[in-house]
Amino acid sequence: MITAGIDIGSRASKAVVLKDGKIIASYIGDTGAESVVTSRVTMAKTLEGTGLELSDIDYIVATGYGRVLVPFANENISEISCHARGINYYFPSVRTILDMGGQDCKAISVDGEGRVTNFVMNDKCAGGTGRFLEMIAEVLGVPLSEIGDLALQSKAAIPFNTICAVFARSEAIGYLRKGISKSDILAGLHEAIAIRSYNLLKRVSIQKDFSISGGIAKNKGMVAKIAEKVGLQPLLAEDPQLAGCLGAALFAQDRVMGKTRKDTLKISYGYSDGSGEYFITIDAGKCDGCGKCVEACFAGNFEIKLDEQGQPKAAIKESLRKKIHLACPGYKKCSAEHTVNCHSVCQQDAISHSW
Amino acid sequence: MKAVGLDVGSLNVKAVILDGSSAVSFAMLTVSEGAEPSARAALDEAIISSKLNGDELYIVATGVGGKAISFSQQQKAITTCLARGVHYLFPAARMVVDVGAETTTVLKINDRGRVTDWAGQDKCAAGTGMFLQAMAKIMQVSLKDMAEYSLRAKNRADITGTCAVFAESEVISHIHRVPPTPKEEIIAGIHASMVSRIMGLLKRLGIEKEVAVVGGVALDGGFIHVLEEELGFKVLVPENPQMVAALGAAILAKENLEKGVR
Repeated sequence: MITAGIDIGSRASKAVVLKDGKIIASYIGDTGAESVVTSRVTMAKTLEGTGLELSDIDYIVATGYGRVLVPFANENISEISCHARGINYYFPSVRTILDMGGQDCKAISVDGEGRVTNFVMNDKCAGGTGRFLEMIAEVLGVPLSEIGDLALQSKAAIPFNTICAVFARSEAIGYLRKGISKSDILAGLHEAIAIRSYNLLKRVSIQKDFSISGGIAKNKGMVAKIAEKVGLQPLLAEDPQLAGCLGAALFAQDRVMGKTRKDTLKISYGYSDGSGEYFITIDAGKCDGCGKCVEACFAGNFEIKLDEQGQPKAAIKESLRKKIHLACPGYKKCSAEHTVNCHSVCQQDAISHSW
Repeated sequence: MKAVGLDVGSLNVKAVILDGSSAVSFAMLTVSEGAEPSARAALDEAIISSKLNGDELYIVATGVGGKAISFSQQQKAITTCLARGVHYLFPAARMVVDVGAETTTVLKINDRGRVTDWAGQDKCAAGTGMFLQAMAKIMQVSLKDMAEYSLRAKNRADITGTCAVFAESEVISHIHRVPPTPKEEIIAGIHASMVSRIMGLLKRLGIEKEVAVVGGVALDGGFIHVLEEELGFKVLVPENPQMVAALGAAILAKENLEKGVR
């Protein structure tokens, strides 16, 4: 049985091919402007030298930001489920995963079978993402692959006031002009990102064992800083950037064998930025899709959508997710101003707010 | 003795000299080699254009670099100065929106020009002058021309992110779309993204009329237009919106002189 997983991320595209549960080929490349072209190139490069062709693969699962634009995929599955599954393949004991990607950062809780039980995502602020590190590497004139090692050499990290990519960039330029060493600047930035990642992890509660996935997990300096903040040494996969597409390939294997998947997870919609944390969490295990919250919310923030198993579940409207603190006054303020709100009408007690 | 207000911002230093109750002179310089030398240079420029000679000065400093000015007699919070400056220009104003190079601040003020409530942030570039500058750069439009494009737009491009880095990717994808989104609509969308940030702060305090808009970004007519559309009423914009905090500091200096505080 041959299956494949392809992960079209915001910055990098990855694919693996599995033969009877063993990785026989993998490839990592940049994501181009057109997802369809990128997906074809990525798959072709992965198959290079294996003697296989696309038609030899029994089932292909796509994941990542560009997952809906992979024309040859049989199915697409969210990258959160795939990362959880991929890490579980390497380390079945892992219960908490930090996925540090090109344009977002996620904290994921996972059970012994690689199923997601809770997750929080920050995709609204570039602080702490791969994009942020790219910008900093460019400003300092250091190759991206070397910044982590350089940060580790520092004896006196420079404290950074902000994690905002734009401000951090100008702060870094200011320090460079003052003659502060690149390693001290990088150490300070890595420290600031580690603190932010730790705060994100705390929202899903950190349990042993702990793992980091995504491209940033290859940065030794970052891994060391996060390990220091969290107080746990992370288990790192051979190539943590492949966790997403590996998970996708494993799901593909399940499909061929006729297995279906069941997730009971809490989904947090929202973000954190310089002004605070704004998350609305819906416990999909409790939610029965009754739709009372849709009627109760005077701001019209909720909708009922079918999940991946076709069950109706409450969700925050896609268009509002990146401005949720403007659309929703927060639970405390809402309940003071209005007699009806989403918490009190929900009979299953499935909704919670972070503010 | 003359009252002087110095506002040491993250990008510019502004100086205002008062004679009696009217401003006689003002000057603005970009912060170059440290806060103190830049502040002194701005002050010298204001003194020269005011034709004051040998008068003793009483200086109140404010802004992010206000504490670094050793030759000032007093330091005041930027919020206090903004409130006093706006109250002097527009006594009817009850809210102040200050959009500077690196900060966004919203104040509620009373009929005596005192701050009663405020909200703001200085840890994120969303909605600030830096954000606008970065966007102007990728649109290859000068900061001055941004307003002109924005005002011509019939629609606003949808820019969902307020983060400067992510908004940049959204803008680039609008440029490369087939057919490309018109420049006017993208720029109006950029202004709308900034306004959404400010509206959040305004709503947190509760919107009250009149609203005065100050800080460098207030010079952008496109931003002001989108803000007025979102608010549903006209806002007050002073002739020199960047000088308001320095003016407020000068007014506080004058009050101190009158009270005999040295």
